[in-house]
Amino acid sequence: MSTSAETAGVSRRLPGDLAMWFFILAELSVFALLILAFTVAQALHPQMFSEGRQLLDRSTGLAMTLSLLTAGLFAALAQEQVRQDRPRRAALLLCGALLLACGYVAIKLTEYAHLLANGLGMEHDTFFTLYWILTAFHFLHVLLGMVILAWLAEGCLRRRYGAQEHSGLESGVLYWHMVDLVWVLLFPVVYILD
Amino acid sequence: MSASRVLIACWMALAVLSSGTVALGQIAASGLVSIAILAVAVTKAWLIADGFMELRHAPRLWRWLVLSWAVVLAIAISFAL
Repeated sequence: MSTSAETAGVSRRLPGDLAMWFFILAELSVFALLILAFTVAQALHPQMFSEGRQLLDRSTGLAMTLSLLTAGLFAALAQEQVRQDRPRRAALLLCGALLLACGYVAIKLTEYAHLLANGLGMEHDTFFTLYWILTAFHFLHVLLGMVILAWLAEGCLRRRYGAQEHSGLESGVLYWHMVDLVWVLLFPVVYILD
Repeated sequence: MSASRVLIACWMALAVLSSGTVALGQIAASGLVSIAILAVAVTKAWLIADGFMELRHAPRLWRWLVLSWAVVLAIAISFAL
């Protein structure tokens, strides 16, 4: 189901399914609460959070940011290809997005392994408790996003999507952009903001 | 400008702003630096919403709901810190 509205003579269209947009709003609200909880805890324990943040590698955070955003670009370009009825090209771009997402997963797992090896697990202190909850929750969303990207790529190869029918693909791609949207606020809060 | 070029331009801006966030983080922490970092984050969120999610072409209510999510969250963070 697509929605559209005529506003001041200009055709305005909401991409994807309306249900996906309500889902995205719900997800954004949950992440906003988690990010705010992290920030309030930081205000209560500024020294602990500053010391905890020193143990995180910002360049790793930047690499993860670029992986996610570039995967988002590939997914958006794939959507454009489907609209032009080029599902095979779209499938290639979606596979590229999936590879970039794998890069994010590899970097994140390396970071997790490094922290665990240094005894910085969930019980270490409040900073790391919230770090693990927040980043692991986002990580799970990335994994689900990867399943969706793979499903969309398969759908493109089977010509399930095309110039006339692409609402489902738009909804899947929107989910990935939501994951990116959350990360661009989560990244500075967790890695940068002292 | 074609849709693909708009997307690539958005991505380039996002990459530059992401590097800018890390560069700002190298400066000694202060209220002004924190506000600058949050402003960059909001700009990135808007680029994703308007560029990648195509909310610039969407009904205004939906566009403003998503754009204001980033602004309200950034303001709440700046008050909390």
